[in-house]
Amino acid sequence: MLEIRDLHSHYGFSHVLQGVNLTLRPGECVGLFGRNGVGKTTTMRAIAGWIKQISGSITYNGQEIGGLASNAICRLGIGFVPEDRRIFPGLTVEENLKLGLMQTAGRSGAQEAAALERAYDLFPRLKQRYRQMGTTLSGGEQQMLAIARVLVGDQKLLLIDEPTEGLAPQIVDEIFAIMRKLKSEGHAILLVEQNVKRALDITDRICAMERGRIILEGDGNSQADRDALMKAIAV
Amino acid sequence: MLDYMQFVLAPQMLNGFAFGIAIVLMALGLTIIFGLLDVINMSHGEFFAIGAYAGVVLLASGVNFWVAVALVPLLMLPVGVLTERLLVRQVFDSADRHTLTLLLTLGLSMIFYDGLKMVFGPNPLRPDNPIPGGIEVAGVFLPAYRMFLIFLGAAIIAAVWAIIYKTSLGAMIRAAAFDRNMASSLGVPVSAVYSATFAFGTALAGLAGILLAPIFSVFPTMGHEFIVIAFTVVIVGGMGSIKGAVLAGLLLTQVQAIASLIISPVWTDPILFGIMVLVLMFRPQGLFGRLGHG
Ligand SMILES: Nc1ncnc2c1ncn2[C@@H]1O[C@H](COP(=O)(O)OP(=O)(O)OP(=O)(O)O)[C@@H](O)[C@H]1O
Ligand SMILES: [Mg+2]
Repeated sequence: MLEIRDLHSHYGFSHVLQGVNLTLRPGECVGLFGRNGVGKTTTMRAIAGWIKQISGSITYNGQEIGGLASNAICRLGIGFVPEDRRIFPGLTVEENLKLGLMQTAGRSGAQEAAALERAYDLFPRLKQRYRQMGTTLSGGEQQMLAIARVLVGDQKLLLIDEPTEGLAPQIVDEIFAIMRKLKSEGHAILLVEQNVKRALDITDRICAMERGRIILEGDGNSQADRDALMKAIAV
Repeated sequence: MLDYMQFVLAPQMLNGFAFGIAIVLMALGLTIIFGLLDVINMSHGEFFAIGAYAGVVLLASGVNFWVAVALVPLLMLPVGVLTERLLVRQVFDSADRHTLTLLLTLGLSMIFYDGLKMVFGPNPLRPDNPIPGGIEVAGVFLPAYRMFLIFLGAAIIAAVWAIIYKTSLGAMIRAAAFDRNMASSLGVPVSAVYSATFAFGTALAGLAGILLAPIFSVFPTMGHEFIVIAFTVVIVGGMGSIKGAVLAGLLLTQVQAIASLIISPVWTDPILFGIMVLVLMFRPQGLFGRLGHG
């Protein structure tokens, strides 16, 4: 489904990604782990088309997407829940959510209304606060909004970057429950998460990243691979 | 005293109001372009002048004034799209975008300015007032064309506000103004939104140009003269703020109108700049916040 080959990227003089290779199959949840600053977010941004200075290849269902505009990549079915949530401040909760409808072209009004309704069912708190400005939500609610906003589109692959960062344990539980549900509904997920133990509950495959490369890849359900991962990313 | 109100103050304020509405139309384009694209469009004044001259040409070739008022903004759309696509876009992703776009649009304004002077000559042209006369209300004479300008302008300002704040297109514009990457990743066609917004701002400037033509006449330096006030309005109101452009536009033109009754009109511009300097000193972000920034 997603195939990354020898991906390099630079920020000015710093060579951040130094040949990333990563494969994601349909319906699979892959965990991407590593210490701070190793290039996890940069990898996500490269896939989403936020970073233009890249070399190597990123293909999605056989099509090269490296260098495409973010909105073109989005239209192919890739949804992005970025690290810092990126809720639009001047927009209400509902406006933020409705913007997500644009991810998928060609749906009828009724289909779009149903998509919104589904998102509100999944996150009832958002429904209660739909007229509030998006950035007046709590951190946890903003994270829910960022996820819901992507879910109102009909995306097949979700890139989710540190969804539980800085959130209370109860909210963390909720977010993991949602991700588990998404996986069971058939979404492929590329997940970056500092809370490795929790993430291992839902990942099929695990990757450890170090200085811009994937240094280890393994089966998320194998204890030996899990141990190797923990060792690889230990501080 | 009453006579003074009736024959001097009220007409002067009304003039100021009509002028203010036209300035707001211009400032709106400027502030939306800045709020969304982060570009200080130095050629905005020339877009205003081009709109006025396009009106003059249309009228001279026998087009009815009202048709011309509708046509000029439409004719300005391609001017805006081309400027954005061919010039602004080329340097948009460079690190010193602010300087480059500023110089680029400044250069463009010089070309337009000299172009207009070459084609139309240095002398002012003045279209006939399309609705001469007026009505009297409570002893105050209300010139019909100025009243028309006020109502049409107010309706357009209200429509712009409604589009930006009440429609999904407006939500796209506000989202793209704040976070271009995220908006794009949600499927917003950011580059088309940029072109369309730039063109829309250009059309508003052109519209202001033809609307003011029968009052202030049309001359090559008009862009320079009006852009200075429009920039003052945008800075006082808050770069990128729609509400700010409207309030500051109406307020500053009233200050100018009333001040010119008391002191020599040549001193009214320094008063406006004085207000701008004070605002910059004590509230550098302007009276209101930027488009898309809460
Ligand atoms: N805009 C930028 N300009 C310059 N350097 C950057 C930029 N963004 C990231 N970097 C650098 O690139 C490297 C990788 O950053 P990245 O955000 O991908 O790391 P990460 O693995 O997501 O880290 P974290 O776990 O802290 O989120 C870091 O050294 C970072 O300082
Ligand atoms: Mg990161």
